[in-house]
Amino acid sequence: MKFGKRLKQHVEETLPGWRDMYLNYKDLKKLVRLISSSLEYGKSEAEFVYLLNNEIDKFNMFFMEQEEDFIIRHKELQQRIKRVNESEPSSQEEYEEEMSRIRKDIVDFHGEMVLLVNYSNINYTGMAKILKKYDKRTGGLLRLAFIQKVLEQPFFTTELVSKLVKECETTIDELFPTAMVAVELKDATITMVGEGIFRNTVAALMTMKEIRNGSSTQSHFSLPALSLPDTELIRSFQLNSPIPSI
Amino acid sequence: MSSANGTVGHIVSSSSGMSSNLHISSISSDEFCSIKAPFITQSSGVLRSTAFREYIKESNISSWCTDSLSDFLDYTENSPLQSSNLQLMPSEDVGKPNDWQDWADQLITDDDDGVSPNWNEILVDTPVADQHPKMAYYVGKASKTSSSLKLSTPVPASPGDACTPMTPSSCGSGSQSKPRMRWTPELHEVFMEAVNKLGGSESATPKGVLKLMKVDGLTIYHVKSHLQKYRTAKFKPVPSSEGTAEKKPTPIQDLPSFDFKTSLEITEALRLQMEVQKRLHEQLEIQKNLQMRIEEQGRYLKMIFEKQCKSGIDQFGPSSSTLERSEPELTNEVSSSPSQLETEPDPIKVELTSTEKQQVETDHSESQPSKRAKLNESSTKLS
Repeated sequence: MKFGKRLKQHVEETLPGWRDMYLNYKDLKKLVRLISSSLEYGKSEAEFVYLLNNEIDKFNMFFMEQEEDFIIRHKELQQRIKRVNESEPSSQEEYEEEMSRIRKDIVDFHGEMVLLVNYSNINYTGMAKILKKYDKRTGGLLRLAFIQKVLEQPFFTTELVSKLVKECETTIDELFPTAMVAVELKDATITMVGEGIFRNTVAALMTMKEIRNGSSTQSHFSLPALSLPDTELIRSFQLNSPIPSI
Repeated sequence: MSSANGTVGHIVSSSSGMSSNLHISSISSDEFCSIKAPFITQSSGVLRSTAFREYIKESNISSWCTDSLSDFLDYTENSPLQSSNLQLMPSEDVGKPNDWQDWADQLITDDDDGVSPNWNEILVDTPVADQHPKMAYYVGKASKTSSSLKLSTPVPASPGDACTPMTPSSCGSGSQSKPRMRWTPELHEVFMEAVNKLGGSESATPKGVLKLMKVDGLTIYHVKSHLQKYRTAKFKPVPSSEGTAEKKPTPIQDLPSFDFKTSLEITEALRLQMEVQKRLHEQLEIQKNLQMRIEEQGRYLKMIFEKQCKSGIDQFGPSSSTLERSEPELTNEVSSSPSQLETEPDPIKVELTSTEKQQVETDHSESQPSKRAKLNESSTKLS
C-alpha cells in the first residue's frame, strides 16, 4: 500500500487541474483482488485490459494537451523576453520590474514542465506495479507484453518536454544576474516554498524519494533507492512551509 | 453509465468523461485473418453482458485494445482465452468492412519522429498481428465523424518537419473520436507564420490558417483548438503581471533602499527553486532510463528462453554443460509465471553512487555477457 499512499498524497497536493488525471491505482488494485478469485479468467482479463487502456487514453490525452500548451507558452516567453530587451526601457525600475516578473514566470513554467514529466513517470510506475500485482495474483503473463506498449505511448515519451525544460534552463541562466551576494534568503525562500509550483516540485521530489525507498518486493524489476545529497535541506522546506491552502 | 458489475462501474465514473459512439464487432478466431474488423474482443461472454456493452458504446476505446487482445491470443499458448468463442456481431453505423480497409490505408501516417507507436515492432512474430496495425489506427474513428477524417490523399511526410504525427489514441471530451494531434515546436512555427500572415492571432481564422499551413493530416479542429490556446497564452501575461504587481509586498518604486535586497532575495529564492526543479528533472530522466532498461532486460530474458526452447541447446555454442546449468535456471525464471522471476534470490542490482554512475550486476552472467556489456556501456553514457 506504500505506493498507493504516496500516490494519493501526491494527487492531493498536486495542481488542482491535474488531480483527476492520475492513475486509478486503488480501484485497479481492488479489481485485481476480485479477479484472482474470479473463475472467468478470459472475461476478467479482457475487462482489466480494457480499463488499463482507458487509463492510458486518459494519460495520453492530458499529456498531449499540456505538451501543446507548453510549446505555445515556451515560444511566448521567448518572445516576451526579446520584446523587453529590444524595446526602449521606460525606466530602469520598470525594466527591472518586468524582468523580475519574467524570471518568476519562467521559473514557474520550468517547474510546471518538470511536473508533467513527473506525472508521466508516476503513472508509468503505477501501471508497472499494477501489472505486476495482476500477474502475481492470477499467474498470468500480462505484464511483459503490456508494458512494452506502455513504453511507446505518447505520455511516456517525454523527450520533447525534457527538451523544452533544458532550453528553459539555458534561457534562465542568461536571465539571472551572475552576482552572487550572500543574503539571508531563508525567509524569502520559505515564503516562496509555500506557494504554487515551488511547493509542488519540492513535494514531488520528496515523494519520488519515498516511493523508491526500498519495497518489500524488491526484485530486478525494481528501481534502486534514491539518494539525494541535499535531502535534508529540501525536507526542511516542507516542514517549514505554511500549511498549503488547496 | 451502466456497468457490468459494481467495480467496473466505479472505475468508469471516476475517470474523465468520454463520449463516443463506438460499436464493437468481434469475429471468430477462424476468420481472424480474413475479415478486417475495426475492433476485436475475444470473449463472447463479455459482449453478451448488455450492461458492459452499453458501457463500451458510451466510451472511447482506443486501438490499444485491439492489439493487446490480439497479443493474448497469440503469445500465450496455454491461455484459456483461446478457447473462448468469438461471435460476429454486426455494428450499426459503421460502413462495410471494405471501407474500413480503405480508410485504414489512408489514415496511416508515417512516424517520422517516432511518435506513433511502431506496431510492427510491438507485434513480434505474429502474422495475424500484421493486419492489425492498419485497423488499429482508426478504431477511435469508426463512428459518424469518420467522413471528416477521410483524407483524400494518403499522408506522406510534409516538407520539412511539419509532419503531423497523429496518434491512434482517442480524443478528449467534446471532440468525438478525432485523432489527437501531437504538436511539435516546428509545427507550431508553421502555425505562427500562417497566423502572422493573416494579420495576427485576433484576425486569423482557423480556416485561413489551415489553408496557409498546407500540412497533410491537419484538420480544422486541430487548428481551431490550437488557435484558442494561442490566443489565451498571448493575453494571459497582462492580467497576471498586473496581479503580481498588486501582490508584491514591497513595490519596488516605493522603497528604493529596500528594493535591492528584496529583489535579490527573490532572485536567490528563484535560484533555489531552479535547483530543486533541475534535480527533480534529472532524477526523472534517470528513473525513466532505468525503467526502460529493466523492461529491455525482461524482454531479452524472454527471448532467450524462447530461443532455447525452439532450437535446443546447440544455439548457445561452446559448453553444453554451461547450458545445462543455465537452462533449468532460465526455465525456472522465465516460466509462465513471471512472479517467479520476481522472487529470484539474487536480483539484478542497479546502484547509483553520488556521482550517478551506474553498474548493472547480474548473476545470469553466463547467458548474457553481451547484454551486460551493452547495459554497462549505455549506463556509463548516462553518467
